[in-house]
Amino acid sequence: MERMKRSLSRRNALKLLGATGGGLALASWTNWGRALAQVPNGAKQLESFTGPGANPHWNSVGPYVTEPQKAPLILVTDRPVQLETPRNYFRTVFTPNEAFYVRWHLGEIPNGVDLAEWKLRVEGNVNKPLAFSLSELMQKFKPASVAAVNQCSGNSRSRLQPRVPGGQWGNGAMGNAMWTGVRLRELLDAARVKSGSVQVQFEGLDTGAGPKGMGSNRFLKSLDLTNAALDETIVAYLMNGEPLPMLNGFPARLVVPGYFATYWTKSLAWIRVLEAPDENFWMKTAYRIPDTPRGTTTPEDMKAGKVKTVPIERMPVRSFLVSPDGSSKIPVGLGVTLRGMAFSGYGKVVKVEVSDDGGSSWRAAELGEDHGAYSFRSWEAPWTPKTPEKYSITVRATDEKGNVQPDEAVWNAGGYLWNKIEKQELVAGKAN
Amino acid sequence: MEKRWKMALITVGVAAAFAGGLLFAQMRSGSYGSTNGASIGQGAAPELTPDAKYDVGPYRSFTPELAEGDGKLEVQSFCATCHSTRYITMQPPLPGATWEAEVNKMMKVYGAPVPEAAAKKITAYLQAHYAPENRKE
Repeated sequence: MERMKRSLSRRNALKLLGATGGGLALASWTNWGRALAQVPNGAKQLESFTGPGANPHWNSVGPYVTEPQKAPLILVTDRPVQLETPRNYFRTVFTPNEAFYVRWHLGEIPNGVDLAEWKLRVEGNVNKPLAFSLSELMQKFKPASVAAVNQCSGNSRSRLQPRVPGGQWGNGAMGNAMWTGVRLRELLDAARVKSGSVQVQFEGLDTGAGPKGMGSNRFLKSLDLTNAALDETIVAYLMNGEPLPMLNGFPARLVVPGYFATYWTKSLAWIRVLEAPDENFWMKTAYRIPDTPRGTTTPEDMKAGKVKTVPIERMPVRSFLVSPDGSSKIPVGLGVTLRGMAFSGYGKVVKVEVSDDGGSSWRAAELGEDHGAYSFRSWEAPWTPKTPEKYSITVRATDEKGNVQPDEAVWNAGGYLWNKIEKQELVAGKAN
Repeated sequence: MEKRWKMALITVGVAAAFAGGLLFAQMRSGSYGSTNGASIGQGAAPELTPDAKYDVGPYRSFTPELAEGDGKLEVQSFCATCHSTRYITMQPPLPGATWEAEVNKMMKVYGAPVPEAAAKKITAYLQAHYAPENRKE
């Protein structure tokens, strides 16, 4: 770690300069010496943690690591695996499978699946319990596709003040894919749900070392059978037209468009119809938000026991500037394109606005192709810095329900629902 | 005579230095920095067979270095039963009361079977090395 943290400090940089010959001493006449010290030259490492203040970076600060079927991604934790998608992968509306973020809850996650044995079971309060192999899922049901954003409930948790424990995600615990598979309602209809059923529960192949009956042993999520989100839910065996990576839930995962990823059970193996509401840990205790506007509260109210909570559901509207990312200066007068994407769990993004004065004045960005209500929507806006200075670029989105991204922070004990307007500093330099 | 030669030499020298300075002012080049060990090796493609088994092999461990101190051993043996100790180093510096609540949550909510004495040592260790006033790594 110590070795990793060693960086090309200003003093070392100047020493290097000195060592390369007297002629270079002239450099100091032209201020190059000072400039050099600020150029990291690929050698300066990020800090190994952030806090107690907010994480100031777009992504979290972990090192890049490679896991099977994955491009180098940002390490959050290694057991169970949690990996964050670097910012540059959001330049495309569909996030590549190999770059798609990863978040598991329990330590024993599948390394392999034998499709000769694997079955998706539909059981519980049904007239006809069923079990399908992957080839049966492919052949017996007409494939359905949906473009949908999968976002971790705790995406951007490292922005909260005061900080809360949990996965310290930057903004990269999200991704958008074209998901293809079987409609959940068709599976439920085939099994003939008995009257008096209230919820449907989902369980995957992952298990934990904790005692039986505890949240550390099984990960279980449920939705009400009357929930309209189930009408759009599919059991996906294709992700962007390819098999799912093992770490993203091979051979099939639940896709609940508009909902946070906690419901998108990976390596789905059991669909269970329940007669009574699910009271397991992952529904009754975890993934709950304050029953307040925007799900925000204060540490004081939490401590005083004043906060009623409800299960987290749909994703609030968000938007991001993807490039330029602030890592390079832009010469004054050079016209560049601001690019990014936006999404909302409540419906289609209809407007994205950008500001280069920190949010005092806004102008509309041009929206990209519409891939459906639950997809990323790309946007772009031309921008020419007029004077050499530091600009604060901000972006905000509006969805078809009229939800406008606010400039106020969110705080809740789980670190969920962050959707404050994003700010990015861009530096324009002199062009002569 | 000698003085004139000296003057000429100095003039030429100063002119050359100036030209060099002007040239250099246009750009800066040839700087590569020192080796920083930040690269990661490429993994070889696995050998695949046309049967029904789909296996990606083991996931990797990136076990962090934990701060030295009393309680480290308990952290490594009890906490790491269910999860990597990266769950500790990944957190921001957290106040002592939050660490105490976390240890209690692991035991009471998740059912981690940690003896009382070990739990106390674990809490004290986390408070001594991973709080805002003392966190280093």
